[in-house]
Amino acid sequence: MTEIALLGRRAVREVVRMPEATIPTLFIPLFFLAVNIGQVSKTFPSSTPFLHGQGYAAFQIPVSLLFAVSTATSGLALVTEIDNGYFDKLLVAPIRRSSIIWGRLTADLVRGVMLSVLVLIAGLAFGVHVKSGVLGSVVLVLMAALWGVAYAGIGLLVALRTRNVQATNASFLVFFPLLFLTPNFVPFDRLTGLMEALARANPVSYVIEGLRSLVLQGWVLHKLAICMGVIVATGLLLTWLSVRTIERFDR
Amino acid sequence: MPAQSEMAPAAIEARGLERTFKGGVEAVRGIDLSVAAGEVFGFLGPNGAGKTTTVRMLCTLLPPTAGSAHVAGVDVLRDGAEVRRRIGVALQEIGLDPIQTGRELLELQCGLYGISGADARARAEELLELVGIADAADRRTKTYSGGMKRRLDLASALVHSPEVLFLDEPTTGLDPASRLTVWDEVRRINAGGTTIFLTTQYMEEADQLCRRLAIIDNGRIVAGGSPEELKDRMGHDVVSVGLNGADPAATQAAIGELPGLERVMVEQDALALYVEDGPASIAEIVRRLDRTGVSVGSISVARPTLDDVFLQATGRRLEGDEEPAAAA
Ligand SMILES: Nc1ncnc2c1ncn2[C@@H]1O[C@H](COP(=O)(O)OP(=O)(O)OP(=O)(O)O)[C@@H](O)[C@H]1O
Ligand SMILES: [Mg+2]
Repeated sequence: MTEIALLGRRAVREVVRMPEATIPTLFIPLFFLAVNIGQVSKTFPSSTPFLHGQGYAAFQIPVSLLFAVSTATSGLALVTEIDNGYFDKLLVAPIRRSSIIWGRLTADLVRGVMLSVLVLIAGLAFGVHVKSGVLGSVVLVLMAALWGVAYAGIGLLVALRTRNVQATNASFLVFFPLLFLTPNFVPFDRLTGLMEALARANPVSYVIEGLRSLVLQGWVLHKLAICMGVIVATGLLLTWLSVRTIERFDR
Repeated sequence: MPAQSEMAPAAIEARGLERTFKGGVEAVRGIDLSVAAGEVFGFLGPNGAGKTTTVRMLCTLLPPTAGSAHVAGVDVLRDGAEVRRRIGVALQEIGLDPIQTGRELLELQCGLYGISGADARARAEELLELVGIADAADRRTKTYSGGMKRRLDLASALVHSPEVLFLDEPTTGLDPASRLTVWDEVRRINAGGTTIFLTTQYMEEADQLCRRLAIIDNGRIVAGGSPEELKDRMGHDVVSVGLNGADPAATQAAIGELPGLERVMVEQDALALYVEDGPASIAEIVRRLDRTGVSVGSISVARPTLDDVFLQATGRRLEGDEEPAAAA
């Protein structure tokens, strides 16, 4: 436990001391948010049924949150460490190897909360009103951050498997199918047949749906439950794989 | 004191240790080692000899493809966790976290070894003083010079006062003054009872620091013993005859059977004659060369060095660039 706390604190310190690793990840979601709102607000005025009386920004904000937190930042930090040799120092210390993973994920949680709060503030500036209230906003931020933690496993896995900075950097590409084959622009029923089938098969769709329900509808418990279920299942799977990989590192 | 090594349990014991990498590189080809508790043991060899690979296997960082090893009495393969608790490691490639300060890095390192709170702070401070980087303690390590990084890395291997300390080329890339500082540190750490396994490419380092050493080349141990034993085995004195273009065979024939000659090694443009009495032999050699009219470049006498041991074992010089210059 203490080793996780120690490695977590160090990883968080890295987030704070290297804002240049975090700030750019904020650019993409904010850019998309502004551009999407500008382009489709006229097409989807607030009278559009699926907007529940709000502007298009409210429909988009959950997607922006996921964009912001779905990064390979931890994977990059890990592969850099493998490269510069500090990783060997950790491996030769009498700690559980899994604590290296948990330490990284701690930083993802902190970074996820920070980024989500910033994106949400930007959303509020675009006139978004979170229907589920202040408590709902907190849940929104936490769920987005937890998704970021779950998603971080992809970067960690690629880092451990390839030990290659470029490959780890490129792992953010996974993000395109995962986050765009979803009801990100319009609801499921507005998608073409093939798109809808793909989106319904994509678990990330249900994360978007859950977060979106907090903003547009209030407390829709079954959507939140499915959303949480997907986050937890994704997190457990990817974390388990990462831990297994680090335990077999060099074997 | 060979008796001591028989009584105390060995700090490091390896049997038939091998490592073949993917792609077929046989980095280590079956080595046996026995390092007594409390000694400074040197592992001397040129680039690519297999030193780092051996250290990584002994430190549980790399599983051997064959063979077995015990460190501090614990099986490296069966109980890696226990081995890790008992050893300190400063690898050849310095591994520091660039965005932490030296102090933070040491305090974290303490924490990983179960030293926390005020104890960790005190230990970090003590080590920063010990390795002489207290002034830079609160700067991020990426601003450190190469020598400072090396010393911080050494300090981080010492937080828990390990039973066995592995140092992989601790002085490579250091200036002569820093090298001497590290030597002093190694001696001081060893005086506190820590067994030290040290790899090096420098024969002088092995000679100065190590009570016993093994010479590794191409994945195999080619010679082992105390520096004195190894050198004595070579002969009493070595007379170097710089050929300056003269034919080695003709020169050797001209010198013929010297009294007390133990062995002759032919090198590039030089002959090394291992003899019982160097000064007396020089006079005789000069007389014989004169008589046969063979002219040579230079003649000098010296004690055999570890480099001569290496030459004898492998047919090559360890420090190729330095030796011919000295002979000329
Ligand atoms: N991961 C690896 N994969 C393949 N070959 C390797 C690997 N690591 C080392 N080798 C090879 O094994 C051999 C021994 O390397 P090693 O690093 O143990 O040598 P060394 O004695 O430490 O050399 P140096 O003095 O240059 O540090 C070399 O031929 C090297 O190329
Ligand atoms: Mg090496």
